[in-house]
Amino acid sequence: MKKQKKDSLVFWLFLAPALISFVVVVIVPFFMGIYYSMTDWTAVAGITPNWVGLDNYKDMFSSLEFRYSFIRTFIFTLISVISINVVALTFAFLVTREIRFKNFYRAGFFIPNLIGGLVLGYIWQFIFKSVIPAIGGLLGINFLKELLLLSDPNLTLFGLILAFTWQYAGYIMMIYVAALLNVPQELLEASEIDGANFWQKLWNITVPMIAQAFTITSFLTLINSFKQYDIIVALTNGGPTDLYQGTVVNSTELLAMHIYNIAFKYNRMAEGQARAIIFFLVLSVVSIGQVYYNKKKEVEM
Amino acid sequence: MAKVSISNLNKKYPNGFHAVKDVTLDISDKEFMILVGPSGCGKTTTLRMIAGLEDITSGEMRIGDMLVNEVSPKDRNIAMVFQNYALYPHMSVYDNMAFGLKLKKTPKAEIDERINKAARILDIESLLKRKPKQLSGGQRQRVALGRAIVRKPEVFLMDEPLSNLDAKLRVQMRAELIKLHNDLQTTFIYVTHDQTEAMTMGTRICVMNSGVVQQVADPRTIYNKPANLFVAGFIGAPQMNFFPGKVIEGSMVEVESQTFKLNDELKEAVKAKSKANAEVTVGIRPEDIRLGNESEGILAKVEVTELLGSDLNVYFKIGQRNYILKTEASRGIKIGDDIYPVFNSDKIHLFDTETESSLLY
Repeated sequence: MKKQKKDSLVFWLFLAPALISFVVVVIVPFFMGIYYSMTDWTAVAGITPNWVGLDNYKDMFSSLEFRYSFIRTFIFTLISVISINVVALTFAFLVTREIRFKNFYRAGFFIPNLIGGLVLGYIWQFIFKSVIPAIGGLLGINFLKELLLLSDPNLTLFGLILAFTWQYAGYIMMIYVAALLNVPQELLEASEIDGANFWQKLWNITVPMIAQAFTITSFLTLINSFKQYDIIVALTNGGPTDLYQGTVVNSTELLAMHIYNIAFKYNRMAEGQARAIIFFLVLSVVSIGQVYYNKKKEVEM
Repeated sequence: MAKVSISNLNKKYPNGFHAVKDVTLDISDKEFMILVGPSGCGKTTTLRMIAGLEDITSGEMRIGDMLVNEVSPKDRNIAMVFQNYALYPHMSVYDNMAFGLKLKKTPKAEIDERINKAARILDIESLLKRKPKQLSGGQRQRVALGRAIVRKPEVFLMDEPLSNLDAKLRVQMRAELIKLHNDLQTTFIYVTHDQTEAMTMGTRICVMNSGVVQQVADPRTIYNKPANLFVAGFIGAPQMNFFPGKVIEGSMVEVESQTFKLNDELKEAVKAKSKANAEVTVGIRPEDIRLGNESEGILAKVEVTELLGSDLNVYFKIGQRNYILKTEASRGIKIGDDIYPVFNSDKIHLFDTETESSLLY
């Protein structure tokens, strides 16, 4: 009995640092946040917040900016998830083949991920604003010369997706590389003898065998796209403006940035908090749904 | 049904390793050919080249009458059973077997029929809905065979298919494979490092070492007339005894002050090879040494005995040299006993000391 007591003391001692910091930094603020989202809190010292019930939530759902931002975030996330995974998987295939310098390529594709989002955003701003038109001018291609990706509200989102894909695909590629290297060579050979061509092998053997990687990569790309902030700050800072149902909106002000702006730029803390909670709920539901769906497709060896 | 002809086949890897050297081998239709040899002898590489999984560096490979050097595996009309079975883990047993047929757009009814037939032959009818991970090793092995059978290939290739099974199951599957070969009447090419499998299953055996074919013959010939020291030592357990000797006047061989008369076949061979007074390597199988009495043999001391149920292996020493003989377990010989081994001079093998090849060839 004594030994058991001692064991459980050690157990809680080891758990304490993680548990305490989790409670203090995540759990407590989360419930405080729920409370604040139902008040008119402004974070100004000395002013006691008043209870307003669900007013902040009502305002949010009637806000056209919020609705617009929500839709744009979904579009951004959907296209990013697809483009990052397609690019990452393609690169992973290339660098797992018997080619020369494959380690060099692996490192090369991974490096953008080491550059911080802000720096990366400014680099791409330079590329979109100066490099592409300059190349267009040099080659005499008017389309490129006049392509101002960052000033057309319909195209800017794609500029963001391009920059984000460039940053993140290398990281996701590494996960795919690890998964691809784990696919037993014998299975591919057996399917080759069974008569499968390249695409049939890919679809019938490789893809099911790396289903576990899909769960991870879909999850990571999904939540990171959804939460995207730093690249946007540097690249467009939310602009250019557009019209949505007669209201002026910022075409690349995605949810994370929208919440930040509401809370800190306009100092409407409680409103921002309410939106953050909805943001959290939506992201949770979507990502749990995704993991549940992907998990079902995984193969046990 | 098809024969497989391989001529001057070579495999050199980019790192310079020469895995298969000038292999020439004709495998006739419906034959059960065994490729046997120690690890790294090139037998699996040869099989993989027949399958088309490995590029051919030089030489020609024909299946039937078709030159297949550049033909991809799927167009060679072969089936392969892998050492680790290589079943698709995400597919049911049925789907594993149906995969190749589906890719060939075989009608559903025919797929059903072929799978049911194969499942009946292999006794896996009750397993068709299961996933590979729910099967035992022996069952997986049967499914792998089933996947090969349903495709009705011209040639079956098997890469050490029994090596992952336990000893008892291996013996059982060995018999079933022989039966299967009989039923299917198809060419089998079978790679193994296990000489018992080679001896029991093959219609012919191809012994390989360091990428070179040592001898191709039926099991009886391989055992009774090994072409060289390697084959003689590799086939047969316990191993053949070797010791230096000298041929005297073309009719006798002298070993450690004992002389043995050569049989007629060896006399001819010694004459033909003009080795009438040459130094040779003498070989004799453990079962060709019997226990004699004091007047027949030379005194030796027993060092180790191994009881194998009905047989008894006796390790002994004459002078500085170690020998093994095989006798009945009922002889009850113990470590330290004095014995008088007698060599059966009729069963002696002679090998050229320099080239290591048998004087018979």
